Amino acid sequence: MIEVADLWFTYPEGTIALRGVSLRIGDGESIAIMGENGAGKTTLVKHFNGLLKPQKGTVLIDGVDTREVSVAKLAKKVGLVFQNPDHQLFSSTVEEEVMFALKNLGFTSEEIKERTNWVLKFLDLEKYRERSPLSLSGGERKRVALASVLCVKPKILVLDEPTIGQDAKQKRKLGELLKKYQEEGNTVIVVTHDVEFASKYFKRIVVMAKGKVIADGPPNKVLTNPTILNESSLTPPQVAILSYEIAKKINNFPKDIVLFNDLLQEVITRVKR
Amino acid sequence: MSYTMFSAFEFKRKDTYIHNLDPRTKMFMTLIFMTVALLFTSIVPLLITFIATLIPVLLAKSVKEWLSSLKGTTMLLVFILVINSFVRDLNFAVAMVLRLIVLITAFSAFFLTTHPDDLAQALIQMKVPFDFAFALSMATRYVPTLAREAQTIMDAQMSRGLELQRGGLTQKIRNLIPLIIPLIVNSVRRAMSIAESLESRAFGAIKKRTYLYQLKLTKGDFLFLCFLIMYFVTMIYLKFYFPFTTWMEWKLPL
Repeated sequence: MIEVADLWFTYPEGTIALRGVSLRIGDGESIAIMGENGAGKTTLVKHFNGLLKPQKGTVLIDGVDTREVSVAKLAKKVGLVFQNPDHQLFSSTVEEEVMFALKNLGFTSEEIKERTNWVLKFLDLEKYRERSPLSLSGGERKRVALASVLCVKPKILVLDEPTIGQDAKQKRKLGELLKKYQEEGNTVIVVTHDVEFASKYFKRIVVMAKGKVIADGPPNKVLTNPTILNESSLTPPQVAILSYEIAKKINNFPKDIVLFNDLLQEVITRVKR
Repeated sequence: MSYTMFSAFEFKRKDTYIHNLDPRTKMFMTLIFMTVALLFTSIVPLLITFIATLIPVLLAKSVKEWLSSLKGTTMLLVFILVINSFVRDLNFAVAMVLRLIVLITAFSAFFLTTHPDDLAQALIQMKVPFDFAFALSMATRYVPTLAREAQTIMDAQMSRGLELQRGGLTQKIRNLIPLIIPLIVNSVRRAMSIAESLESRAFGAIKKRTYLYQLKLTKGDFLFLCFLIMYFVTMIYLKFYFPFTTWMEWKLPL
């Protein structure tokens, strides 16, 4: 469980990135953190694994204050995948790249082998095992970066902008994988601008603006609220626009549908009637 | 650590007497401080030079930035102090530390107050070929970018359990590999794409370029140059024609 209480953070050059953020994330939740550029999303998630320490307020991970433990210690529990895979790939093969974190965190050689095999299979990277990570395509590099963190099997997995530069097929695959990982009892948190991705695969949306949390709730409540969307420079999902427009024409048609299947279901039941 | 060290040499836009000086004047200043610092090996003249270098830093209202540049080199300064005390004596060691501080101060006074583009323009007006001047200004422009990138890479690898302080000396050096390789790979990639975007904007198509701005020395520059020359002549006089003064060779009371 992650408990953030009245968190403030100012960068050395004077930018106030977080202004009193409070947030509770339970075990096994699936959360998308959204909001415009510079809203403080990345700064917030860097507090989850102790890369940044609270200047005011507290961040507790399973009851432990992040100020009292090292990043390496937290890394076993909280896996943070950065936006740009090129900021972390350095090994000569994909396999070694994955093993790096496991070696750092002191797993036994059997565990290392087992987890490496598991993660390469889970992310469909087995065929690249002996390839150099740098020779792979952008999307594949992003998957290797994910593998290099996921191999630890962190209870809490955090991804910063996982969908950037991914084609539709890869995005769908990624969404399914994250869902599967979450359903195994882990917490999955993403930072994203992609409303379609967020509404499709995540159950809770946290919207940030100017260093504060301005909305927190299920996608169909948050991503259909014009005030919130406007304040955070987000566009609603296409399905939400459509349901909104239909609701204008047809009496008591729900305005807050964000999933395609839900909309389809609603239309079908009405047509049958 | 690396970040603060770099940020000390990063240009900050301010409106002060020093910021508005011609880059050539400031170049001359750094050159003079450097020459004087390298001429002397005893404490008193280096201390005088140190105080002299502080004047432009104070005038430029950049004390905070300057201090952070010194903070970044603390380890190096301590290293020089210890090694020289063993090899020579404490007097020499203190003088060498002062000399390095003077050099750092002189260079950071230049880079903190001079925009890379002005530096390039100054070099061009000093008949340095445009390509070289441009390369230099590009290089200075990318120092902070590189520092930020290094910080991100460090964060990413620490998230994978990398502990830089772990292990003995060889292990500590090996700990740097996961930082250095991504940094080099990204720099090469960036260099390639910069080159491509320069080419696509017809870089070097015209041999003789014209410039929007021309640098001109002002009264303020001449005043500053006068003080610099007076200082330089005094120091040279003390060094070569006045070598027997005892106060110049004052030693620490040990």
